[in-house]
Amino acid sequence: MFDLIIMLSRYVFVLYIILFLWQGIVYIAYEQGGFLGNPYSAVSMQRRIVVLMHITAFLVLSYNPETHLFDWKTLGFGAVSFGFLLMSVRLLDRYYYEGCPLIWTGMLFLMDVSLIMLQRLSPALAYRQLVWMCIGLAGMLFLPFFFRLIPRFEIFEWAYIIVCYGLLLCTNFFGVEKGGSTNWLSFGPEAFRITFQPSEIVKFLFVFYLASVFRKRVEWKEFLTTGFLSAGLVLLLVMQKDLGSALIFVMTYMVLLYIATANEFLFLLGMGGASIAAMGAYKLFSHVRVRVAAWQNPWADIDTGGYQIVSALFAITTWGLLGSGLTKGMPKSIPVVESDMIFAAICEEFGVIFGAGLIGIFIMLLYRGVRIALDCKRRYYSILAAGVTTMISFQAFVILGGVIKLIPLTGVTLPFVSYGGSSVLVSLMMIGLLQWVCVYCEQHYREEQLPSEQLGMERSGADE
Amino acid sequence: MSNLKRSMRRIFWLLALCFFLLLGYLGKLALVERQEISGNAYNPRLRYADETIRRGDVLDKDGEVLATSALQNDGTYKREYPRARMAAHITGYSSVGKTGVEAAENFQLMTLHHEFLQRLSGILRKTELKGNSISLTVDMDIQSVAGNLLGSKKGAIVVMEPSTGRILALQAYPDFDPNTVETHWERLRDHEDSPLVNRGTQGLYPPGSTFKTITALAGMEHLADWESFTFDCTGETSFQDKVIHCYHNKAHGTVDIKGALAASCNCYFAALAEKIGAEKLAKTMEQAGMNMPYHFELAYSPNTIKLQKGATESELVETAIGQGRTGVTPLYMAMLASAIANEGLMMQPYIVDHIVYANGETGKNTVPQKVTEICTPKEAEILKEMMTEVVTGGTGGAAALGGVTVAGKTGTAENATGNDHSWFIGFAPAENPKVAVAVVIEDANYGSATPIAGKILRAALDALE
Repeated sequence: MFDLIIMLSRYVFVLYIILFLWQGIVYIAYEQGGFLGNPYSAVSMQRRIVVLMHITAFLVLSYNPETHLFDWKTLGFGAVSFGFLLMSVRLLDRYYYEGCPLIWTGMLFLMDVSLIMLQRLSPALAYRQLVWMCIGLAGMLFLPFFFRLIPRFEIFEWAYIIVCYGLLLCTNFFGVEKGGSTNWLSFGPEAFRITFQPSEIVKFLFVFYLASVFRKRVEWKEFLTTGFLSAGLVLLLVMQKDLGSALIFVMTYMVLLYIATANEFLFLLGMGGASIAAMGAYKLFSHVRVRVAAWQNPWADIDTGGYQIVSALFAITTWGLLGSGLTKGMPKSIPVVESDMIFAAICEEFGVIFGAGLIGIFIMLLYRGVRIALDCKRRYYSILAAGVTTMISFQAFVILGGVIKLIPLTGVTLPFVSYGGSSVLVSLMMIGLLQWVCVYCEQHYREEQLPSEQLGMERSGADE
Repeated sequence: MSNLKRSMRRIFWLLALCFFLLLGYLGKLALVERQEISGNAYNPRLRYADETIRRGDVLDKDGEVLATSALQNDGTYKREYPRARMAAHITGYSSVGKTGVEAAENFQLMTLHHEFLQRLSGILRKTELKGNSISLTVDMDIQSVAGNLLGSKKGAIVVMEPSTGRILALQAYPDFDPNTVETHWERLRDHEDSPLVNRGTQGLYPPGSTFKTITALAGMEHLADWESFTFDCTGETSFQDKVIHCYHNKAHGTVDIKGALAASCNCYFAALAEKIGAEKLAKTMEQAGMNMPYHFELAYSPNTIKLQKGATESELVETAIGQGRTGVTPLYMAMLASAIANEGLMMQPYIVDHIVYANGETGKNTVPQKVTEICTPKEAEILKEMMTEVVTGGTGGAAALGGVTVAGKTGTAENATGNDHSWFIGFAPAENPKVAVAVVIEDANYGSATPIAGKILRAALDALE
């Protein structure tokens, strides 16, 4: 009986994600002047889908087919995290009233998938993830107050880059190794030890730094200083074996440089330089070569180097489009499945269609983020929004592509979904920043519009 | 400002393109490469068995059961193989991991057709949940004859339908009893004769004189005067750094290509290869699909070919008579014989014909596919004539059948570690080929594969009628 329910739940989850994306399309279509449905009900529909998905998943997870009882611990966590979802919707509605609703629902969907999957894989981690999400949410709500307090935060460009270097150098000297990369800082007494990845926080500051410099006209001086300073950061990351972050930094720098200068030649030149640097890194560092070899032919070396990627491929391909059904797969056979490889676990149990749907949600986030950057009239905020969007999107691409063997696998987290305190915190802060830009621009746009609207009314009055 | 927005739009499209690449690649994984990846022996999910589902059966072409699951008293299923050793290398086993059809079709065997209805009926009427069954192209009549002929001689027999690539029989010895693999696991795994290895698809042997069919083809392709090219065989010929002997140093006199193939004259083909050159011979080997990947349900080894442009002369002349460092599988040699029989068209071998669902309905039949064209129909016709000559008036006389013309080629491959391997590849009836065969017997007397091949061709022709 329970098997039948799990089997049916596979279809239900696929239905949820398809409906969710469709409602996003309805909303966007309305904005573009088309009409596929009521845009306001589309957003509330999306919220309802997240709620329904949460309930369905936690009912499946908590049921024990042997005793025919529900596990109270799981149900309890389901209820608590449900409360968190409702609370975040309330708070975000209140403090970011004019933020883009699609970004909110997309983010909530991803966070909910994260909680469900972590509860299934390792309940203790799901609990910690929820705590980090609460902290992230609090930080996000604090962001507007902070910006009101310090209105012209672009003038601190030097402070940003100095803190970036400080954090990364700290890691170089005091870092501890975890999962093959020495990019963790660990402090506190043994019992309450907190480990975190400074590179996550550096990401946030790096965007601030670049946007602050690029808000002015970019001349040779700006180009060279940002270029050298960014290359230095990237080099530090490569030395910490954090190749994924290094890649993300390179891409973010190139994209922001291109956006600020609109110079294709410079972009291509930069890409060429980056390729040469990548080749140099391949020659110099053995850990880079290991990654590339595992990507080119993981089958040749299944027992050691290729094991991680091969087990992800097994998970994705074994059960097909609809997956094995929640709790029915073997995702625990994948190394670091809770963080970097979580997408493989999702594809295994929710199916490949659901996995493709998640990629769809990232495309939606990308589109909305770029929309905000495009609609923003102030150059600095516009670049900031573009930087944050690029970073999140490209990070998602790097790890998704790595897991499915499209590109070499580098250990970064999937924003909002992977387990990881610093990752969740920083991802939430980035989305908060993006939404803040959205709100700010909406408000200023209205202030600018107000007089001209009155003008228009007068003119139409005159025509009569 | 407008520049800023324009470049932002472009960046958006660039990143969107990245995501669409992800979608495309994910789709490719899930739809195209699914079977190949998930069937890998390292996949831990292969060992995972849903105890509540009855695994589907494996059936031969006429529905004879080769593997089935029986309900035991404790409510679990036990896998049984009624034909035990006779089809062991085809069915493989499903206990300590999986091999053979059990591995290749694992997911079909565990898939419930109309899953929802089956599960519902399971709850309401307590019917059993049954996976899909697999119907093979193998004919157990031919398979049994092949098994009995092989007996306890090490080697392999592959029987194939030339026009489609259907595998009619696939025997290899040493073999094992799939019913008791778990009990004897360590002995089977560590045994020096590797009984778990399917010699028909994974055994790499030097092709011996059967390779002369390819050398002859290379002559036709690359030499204008191949028909008039003759050589005076004295039983022994010296090349730059190698002396080539004919079998028992027998002198064949002045022979042309047809006579040389029939008598399997090493000196002639070595001289022919010297004229062709390494580069061109290697090209013909490529063209004959020796290096080409093909698709087959069971695990197979790719051939190993070492001949390259600029090879030494000894390597060239040795390769030409099938002795060098070339390694081929019996499966490939059956494909080669089939291609000659099939007007030069090499077909992809396949062993799964269709799926039989639990409710008795059948799925689509596997569609035959070609691997490559090894030569023109005209060249295939000439090769066929020459190979007919081998059986009617040459070394392959023991494979001749009354009332049916057989075409073939014998071979004796020198074995560095022991006695020679005896080969025969061929097909019948020559006018309208219905069956092709490749036989290899390890550590065997000269020509011992030939009569076996004849008997199998007879049995297969009888069975097909």
